[in-house]
Amino acid sequence: MHWQATPVAPRSPSEAVLFELDDVSYTYPDGKEALRGVSLSVFEGEKIALVGQNGSGKTTLAKVLCGLISPSRGRVMFDGRAVGKDALSDLRRRVGILFQDPDDHLFCNRLADDVAFGPLNDGASSEQASAIVAEMLDLVGLGAHAAKAPHHLSYGQRKRAALAAILARRPSVLILDEPTANLDSKNTEMLLDVLHRFSGTLLCISHDLMFLYGLCRRAVVLHRGAVHHDTDFEALIAHRPSLRDHGLDFTFRFLCCSGHHGVPAHGDPDPEGFSRRGQERFHHESPASKPLSHALHSFAHPREKPVSDSMEARTGPPLIALEDYSYRYPDGTWGLRGVSLHMKDGERIALLGENGAGKSTLASILVGIRTGRGVYRFRGEIVRGRVSKELWRFVGIVFQDSMDQMVSSSCFDEVAFGLKHLGFTGSRLSRRVHEALARVGLDGMAERVPHHLSAGERKRLSLAAVLAMEPRVLILDEPTANLDPENEERLLGILDDLSTTLILISHDICFVSALTDRTVVLHRGCVVQDLPTAQFLMDDRLQSLYGLDVTYHNRCCRQILSMHGA
Amino acid sequence: MSVTVVPWWAAAVAVTAATAAVASLWLLGGSGKRGKGDAEVSSDPDADTSVPELDVVGSGSSFFHRWDPRCKILSLVFFSFMAVSLNHGFELGVGLAVAAGSLAVAGTPLRAAARRLSAMSGFLLILLVIMPLTVPFHEGDRRIVLEGVPFLSFNARGFVLAGRICAKAVIVAVLMEPLLKTAPFSVTMAAVQRLGVPVLLCQMILLMYRYVFVFRHEMQRMWVGMTVRGFRSRSGWQTLGHLGCFLGMLFVRSMERTQRVYEAMLCRGYTGVFPSTVRFCATPRDWAWSALWVGAALGLFALDRWQGAVARLLGF
Repeated sequence: MHWQATPVAPRSPSEAVLFELDDVSYTYPDGKEALRGVSLSVFEGEKIALVGQNGSGKTTLAKVLCGLISPSRGRVMFDGRAVGKDALSDLRRRVGILFQDPDDHLFCNRLADDVAFGPLNDGASSEQASAIVAEMLDLVGLGAHAAKAPHHLSYGQRKRAALAAILARRPSVLILDEPTANLDSKNTEMLLDVLHRFSGTLLCISHDLMFLYGLCRRAVVLHRGAVHHDTDFEALIAHRPSLRDHGLDFTFRFLCCSGHHGVPAHGDPDPEGFSRRGQERFHHESPASKPLSHALHSFAHPREKPVSDSMEARTGPPLIALEDYSYRYPDGTWGLRGVSLHMKDGERIALLGENGAGKSTLASILVGIRTGRGVYRFRGEIVRGRVSKELWRFVGIVFQDSMDQMVSSSCFDEVAFGLKHLGFTGSRLSRRVHEALARVGLDGMAERVPHHLSAGERKRLSLAAVLAMEPRVLILDEPTANLDPENEERLLGILDDLSTTLILISHDICFVSALTDRTVVLHRGCVVQDLPTAQFLMDDRLQSLYGLDVTYHNRCCRQILSMHGA
Repeated sequence: MSVTVVPWWAAAVAVTAATAAVASLWLLGGSGKRGKGDAEVSSDPDADTSVPELDVVGSGSSFFHRWDPRCKILSLVFFSFMAVSLNHGFELGVGLAVAAGSLAVAGTPLRAAARRLSAMSGFLLILLVIMPLTVPFHEGDRRIVLEGVPFLSFNARGFVLAGRICAKAVIVAVLMEPLLKTAPFSVTMAAVQRLGVPVLLCQMILLMYRYVFVFRHEMQRMWVGMTVRGFRSRSGWQTLGHLGCFLGMLFVRSMERTQRVYEAMLCRGYTGVFPSTVRFCATPRDWAWSALWVGAALGLFALDRWQGAVARLLGF
C-alpha cells in the first residue's frame, strides 16, 4: 500500500457516530467478493465522498448502509443499534438513497404520487403529503410538473424529481450514487444547490471529483472492496500518487483544458508527458484570482498547429452536408430547426448544448435513424433510398449507455456483430475482432460476457464494436458517462489516436478541448455557434450561454489548480 | 337457395369504400407518422402512439370526468357486456349511437379513438372477407356471386354475422375512451381496486403501465444499436439468432431493473401496499346515472332478446 494522504482528523467524543461498520464483508451469490473487512465510522453531519474505481464496491457499501443487503460478515451499527430486522424500518426512514438511474425511483404514474409515496408510507395524512409534495417539487424546480407522468420529463428533470422523492421523507442521511451522471452543467448546478441546502449527513458516490470537491470534506477510497484511504478530501485530491493508484487521477483534465494552448490536440497523448508539463505549469503560478481561461492562458504557449490550418488544408466537397435541416418529433416537439452543417473528411467537431438541445437528434439523423425535412448529403450524395440504407457502413455511433449496444453473449460476438453484416467471415473476421479488442485494451477478454464487464470495459467494448467496422465518421454520445477518471483517460488516449472523422457529443469540456478542432453549439434545436474549439474555450461568456454554464466546474478547476500549485 | 349476382363494379365500390374507411381511420389516428419526423405534424402531445397514453385528457370537465370513477367503470363495463350480447341490427345500431354519443360528450380526442379502431380494423376486415366464404350455407341463405367469377360464392349470412361482430367490437372500443381517458390512470386503477379487484393485480398493472414506456425506450435504443451495425430483420437463422440475443438481453435488463425498483420502493418505506391519496365519494347523482346506464343496457338486451314480445307490449 502506498503512502496514505493525511488521515482524517480524530473526532471529538461529542460528535455523534451515525454509522459504525466493523469488519464488514459481503460476497454476492455468484461468489464475487464485493466488500472485504470494511471498518468505517460516519459522523453526524459529515459530507463524505465515496470514491474508487468501477467495481471497487461503492454501490455495495451504499446498499449495506441502507439495509438493502446484509453483510456476509461483520457488524453494521446505525445510531447505536445493530442493523437488523427490528431496526430496519427506522434505518430506512432516516436514510435516503438515490440510485444512478432516476427511473428506478419514479415508479408511479404521476410525479406527485412518487414524491408522496414516502411520506404516505410514514403515516402522513393526505394534506400533509400534499404540502410536502409542493415543497419538495418547488425545491428542485419542478413545481409546475406535479401532475406529469415521469416519462414525459427530461432526464435532468427526472433526476431532480427522484431526489425530491427521496428528500420528501426528510432523511437525516442521504446517499447518492453517481448523481451527476449524464447531467448537463445547468442540472448539475441545480442539484448542487439542493445538496448544499441539505444539512444532514451526506455520502456521495461519484467519479466526478470536481463535483465532489465543492461538496465533500472527507473522502473514503475503496479499492477492491476494502477501504484504502480515509482522509480529508482536499488532501486526497492534492496527492496525485493516491489518485493515480486508485484510477482517480483526474489531473489530466486540467491539461485537456489547456490542450488547445500547449498540447498538440492530435499528437501522441503521452499522459505522463502531459502530467509532467502540467505539473510544471501548475507550480509556476497560482491562477486563483483569474478566470479559468486566463489562468490557463498564462500557462500556455501558442497552438502548434492552428485549427484553421488543418481545416483549410482539407479540400474537396464536404463529407457531411446538412442544408436547412429540420426534424420534428411525432409529439410536435422540434428536434432540429433549420440546421446547416458542413463537415470535411477527418474533421473533429464537438456538439455542445444543454440536455434536450438536439444533439442526439442530430446524431441520429447523421447516422440515418431519423429522417426530417431538408437536404442531407453524405460524400456529395443525397441521403435517401439506397444511400440511406447503406449509411451504417460509413457512419458509426457509440451510445451514451454502452448496454444499449450489447446484444451478444461474448465480447467476440459483440465486436463481430457488425463485421458479419459487412460480410466478414472466418479468419478475416477473427483477426479483425482481435485487432479491435486489442486496440481498446481488451485483448484476452474475447470470451467474457459483456454484461459482466465493468462500466469502463463495456464502454471500450462498444467502441471496439464500432471501430472494427472502420467507419468514415465516428459519433460518440457522452463517452465519459459513468467512467472513472482512469478509464476516462484511457478512453481519451484511444480516441486521440483515431484518424477518423469525429463527432463528439459531450457535456465534458475537457474531452471537447482535447479531441476536437471545432465546436458547434446547439440550443433548442438550432445551431447558435459554430467556431473553433480554442475560441470557444477562451470565451467565458460563451461557456455560460445556452444552458452550458460550466462556471462551477471552472471554479473548482481553478481552486484545485491553485492547490496543486501551492 | 337464392343467388344474387353482383356486378364487378359494385364489388369494386364496396372494397374501395372499406379501404377508404380503414385508411381514413389510419390517417386520423396519425399512424402514418409513427417513427418519422414531419415538420407539418400538429403539436398534439398525444401523437406518439406506440404505447397508448391513458390519462392525457384525464383533467377535463365533461360528464364522464365528473362521474365517480367506480360508478363509471361499473356502468360502462356492464353496458359493454350487454352490447356484445346483442344480436340484431337495430339494437346494435342503438349501441353504436350510444358509444358515439359518449365519445362526443367525453371530449376525448377523436384521433385516439380512430387509432384504437384502426388497430383492430385489420382483424375486422379479415372477418368480413373470411366469414362469408366459410359460413356454411343453410336453407334460405342467399348466395352472392361476383359477375364473371362463378366459382367464388359468398354467404350473405356470413356478411351479417361479420357485421355484427364488427359493430360489437366498435361499441366496446369506442366506450373504452370515456372509460379509460377521463381520469388519471392511477385514479382509474384505485377505483378498480375499490371494486374488489385484488390489490396486487392493480399494483402490477400500475407498475406495468409506468415501465412499459421505459421498456419501450430501452428496446428502441437496443434496436437502433443493432440497426446502425447493419442488422436488418430478415427471414433466416442469423436473424433469429440475433433476435434471440436481443430478447434475452431485454429480459436480463428488465430483471435487473425490477430488482432496483423494488429496492428503491423498500428504501421509501414500501411494506407491500401502495399508499394512495385518492378518495371517492359517490353522490346520489352518480348512482342515478349508473342506474340509467344499467337500465338502458338491460332495455337494449331485452329488446334484442324478446323483440316480438316487446313490440306487442308496446302495441306495435
